[in-house]
Amino acid sequence: MISFDFEYYRPKSIKEATDLYQNLASRGGKPIYYSGGTEIITLGRLNRVYTDAVIDIKSIPETQTWGFHNNELITGSALPLSIFNEKNYFPLLAETAREIADYTSRIKITIGGNICGQIFYREGILPFLLTDSDVLIAGSKGVKRKPLKEVFDQKLMLEREEFLVQLATKKIYMEMPFLSVKKRQQWKTGYPLLTVASLKKDGFLRFAFSGVCPFPFRSEQMETVLNSRTQPYEERALASFDYLPQPILNDIEGSNEYRLFVLKNTIVDFLKKFEGDENK
Amino acid sequence: MVMIGKSVARKDAWEKVTGQAKYTGDSQEGDMLYVEKVISPYGHALIKKIDLSRARQLAGVKAVITGGNLPLTGEEIRDRYPIAYKRVRYHGEVVALVVADTPKRARQAADTIHITYAPLPVINTPRQALDPKAPLIHEDLGQYKKISKVYPEQGTNIANRTKIRKGNMLKGWSESDVVVEESYSLRPSDHAAMETRCALASIRADGKVFITSSSQAPFMIKRLISEYFGIDIGDVIVTTPLVGGGYGGKASVQLELLAYIASRASGGRLVKVQNTREEDMLTSPCHIGLDATIKLGCSQKGKLKAVKILYLWDGGAYSDKAVSLSRAGAVDCTGPYQIENVSCDSLCMYTNHPYASPYRGYSHSEVLFAFERTMDSLANKLGMDPLELRRMNAILPGHTTPTQVLLNSSSVGNLPACIHRLKKLMEWEKGQRIDLGNFKVKAKGISCVWKTSTIDTNASSGVILIFNPDGSVNLVSGVIEIGTGSKTILAQIVSERLKINLEKVKVQMKVNTQSTPEHWKTVASRGTFMAGRAALQAADDAISQLKHLASCVLRAPVEDFEIGGERVFLRDDPSKGLSYKELAYGYTYPNGNAIGGQIIGRGHYVLRHLTPLNPETGAGKPGPEWTVGAQGVEVELDTREYTYRITKSISVIDAGKVMNPKMAEGQITGAMSMGLAFGGRETFYFDDLGRVMNPQLRTYRPLRYGENPEYVCEFIETPQKDSPYGLRGLGEHGLLGMPAALGNSLSLAAGVHLNELPLLPELIWRKRKGADEGDLL
Repeated sequence: MISFDFEYYRPKSIKEATDLYQNLASRGGKPIYYSGGTEIITLGRLNRVYTDAVIDIKSIPETQTWGFHNNELITGSALPLSIFNEKNYFPLLAETAREIADYTSRIKITIGGNICGQIFYREGILPFLLTDSDVLIAGSKGVKRKPLKEVFDQKLMLEREEFLVQLATKKIYMEMPFLSVKKRQQWKTGYPLLTVASLKKDGFLRFAFSGVCPFPFRSEQMETVLNSRTQPYEERALASFDYLPQPILNDIEGSNEYRLFVLKNTIVDFLKKFEGDENK
Repeated sequence: MVMIGKSVARKDAWEKVTGQAKYTGDSQEGDMLYVEKVISPYGHALIKKIDLSRARQLAGVKAVITGGNLPLTGEEIRDRYPIAYKRVRYHGEVVALVVADTPKRARQAADTIHITYAPLPVINTPRQALDPKAPLIHEDLGQYKKISKVYPEQGTNIANRTKIRKGNMLKGWSESDVVVEESYSLRPSDHAAMETRCALASIRADGKVFITSSSQAPFMIKRLISEYFGIDIGDVIVTTPLVGGGYGGKASVQLELLAYIASRASGGRLVKVQNTREEDMLTSPCHIGLDATIKLGCSQKGKLKAVKILYLWDGGAYSDKAVSLSRAGAVDCTGPYQIENVSCDSLCMYTNHPYASPYRGYSHSEVLFAFERTMDSLANKLGMDPLELRRMNAILPGHTTPTQVLLNSSSVGNLPACIHRLKKLMEWEKGQRIDLGNFKVKAKGISCVWKTSTIDTNASSGVILIFNPDGSVNLVSGVIEIGTGSKTILAQIVSERLKINLEKVKVQMKVNTQSTPEHWKTVASRGTFMAGRAALQAADDAISQLKHLASCVLRAPVEDFEIGGERVFLRDDPSKGLSYKELAYGYTYPNGNAIGGQIIGRGHYVLRHLTPLNPETGAGKPGPEWTVGAQGVEVELDTREYTYRITKSISVIDAGKVMNPKMAEGQITGAMSMGLAFGGRETFYFDDLGRVMNPQLRTYRPLRYGENPEYVCEFIETPQKDSPYGLRGLGEHGLLGMPAALGNSLSLAAGVHLNELPLLPELIWRKRKGADEGDLL
């Protein structure tokens, strides 16, 4: 049960949505954008999310786009995670999204919600971090397009009245070799102990991580070390740890030390798969 | 036998698969009020100030209730206020209630209540609680009202001590050539029943109290509300519809007291108290934790000679059922083995954790984890096959239990037969640890199990059979249908005895304490035995009435009648007889005269020859029989990452008589699944303030479909001679050995002693790392 009252709006256009936000906020309200609602509902009943008005963006056509335009894959922010496996245009995204929550939840959880929510794993961002994607953000001044890299630091840096409309990814990235693995505390369900996604572009391996720190990230410094071909895999992995952001997560899913142990193994496995067995 | 041993569909199947089944929480009535709780955010703190001013002013609020002026409660020691007074002792403890006309208004008002706490030092483990310098959780322990068979120790955190003193320890140790000693620990966890607990209450103008509750113990609710609040016991009327899983967690009486208090504060109006999932995990009683140390000795040949045991139970902040759980752990403290010299101290410790309720197996899976891990350590030290060590020490008729009960072939099942079968099913001769290459090891672990019930010595069960005009019969029993199908087994028993079609046995699922004969509590795998005996007696009573009536109508001696095909007929001339239909409501002669009346069969059963335990030696008879079994788990461990997959899980249980094979298999399989989840993942994590860090199913994760292994379930049948058709209880037994068998398989696979639960890959990694660095093992 959610014990606070809130209004519900379902605008049909980007402008309608941002205008609504401004009006509600100027009246002293606390509106929030709403897409799948899984987090607002589950945290709202615990009073860990509060709002007096939700603006449901699912009826805005741009947020539902899923397909190629001008050699770019456009991913609408209100697409449910389940769709990426049903219409698999972006295999790395499908692979990463498939491991988030369970199927029943993935029908509801949207990619935008996963990226912009409070729950800090935000694994949905990893494929986009690895593919130099752009984001289209709607705000009071209309829609702006920015490289994700410029507006993502631990989370998507949105102004209060802004919302994510789409992500745009060049088609060439769809063909590149990739790996994505989620490891858990135990067996097949639960939050990530860590999720590692990797993509090989022009012979260079890119890496992005979730669950290692209390935010997802891609580290070019780590990538440089991990691509130093002269060193053995394990040494590379360990050397890359010098550039890990802090803090390393240390919680009920696993200690920081254990996470690093699992991270090292995962990276070594990735290197083996991309570059072949060391002994050969 | 026609009905016994047949896999008939459950009587509650249709309403459940169609979603028509109604549970306590489904109840919605127009004039209902709703209760919301304010719970403690701390594990241990003084309540300095409670500000209710805003809550009281809100629209729709009927009452705001805080602690004080309430009786102390508890089944054996009265140490708990239903609403905390001046001090909270666990995270989730109820501090205030708000009653309002809608759930939302109640919640809104509850959220405005501001409480100032002063945190106190927290006791987070039972070993810490035992430290003489530890803070006391109950300074007034010695002053609490208690029953006579519980032994709290004033000035300590010991709520109860059970001592087992059997044989001569000096002799035992002198005969022991090989001795191992190890310690174990596991934290409290949850039952995670699908249905969260819920209770309704109303008080009528004439003083009658009506409770509806998702409970395994409506008759205990009736008794305790009467005692705590001074109400005539017959004026407390408790109804329990279908229950969506209990696993022991619904055998404790808690929300019902809150519902009564809330109704009383609201002019007796109907109120509803329903747990959220978080409250169900935090506020309501949980699955007990354990710290244990076991020293076990045997001869060179592997004959067990002596054991010294310390069980420290994490009973939580209040003793309620935890004291009884600690007693049950002592009763079967050695596992199913013959040991002549036993010394065990089983202590129920107060900690700042949620307090404990029964959990499927009633202390046995916890005790067996410790004991069966020790058995493997001993086998390892001896260089002996662990299955053989168990076989040669297996408990047999003629042996005595730790509480010195002399067993016979009825009171204990056939453990060697279970072990023999398990050995075949596990392909034991192919090896216990097999290297599969590529960093994969397959390993097999085992555990033997036993369990008796440790329930009240005068616990009873009653059954009424009421005939319908068509000759069918209504079966009325106080057993709660908690999902185990017990009431279907009772219907099979009645069908068999009355020689009537199963379809003609109509089962009343709901229990109402005013009209349903008492079944003590639906716990301890006792439903089919005790209520089964009562059902047989009720059937015999009805048969006798049918025969007497027929004897009168047909003018022949009663002894000449037999029953069959839903008729009463003459043995020598079956054509002369009367159908049940003609007799069910008395017999009406052609001229309209009538004799007799509705046939109502009645039966009851009380467990016999049970005694309390001697406080110095533990000698006494706690239960009627011991169900035994042998279980195994096969795992595949990744020796580089320490992740593992459980590939197979096997149970061979001596069921006495399998009454309904599919349902029995379902019970055993479900219990195995629960035991593996408890062994492999489920636990509460506490922080320094005693707060549970994972009171949600997103972070507290039972086994999900697809994570399960292949289940193998087989039965041995050694009848218990005084039970219906020889059956033995089996509702809990599939769970009992799972944590131990999992621990044994993984310890063997990883080459380290894994003596903690849950058996997470991180634990194996930590132990392995310690071993590699030489500071462990």
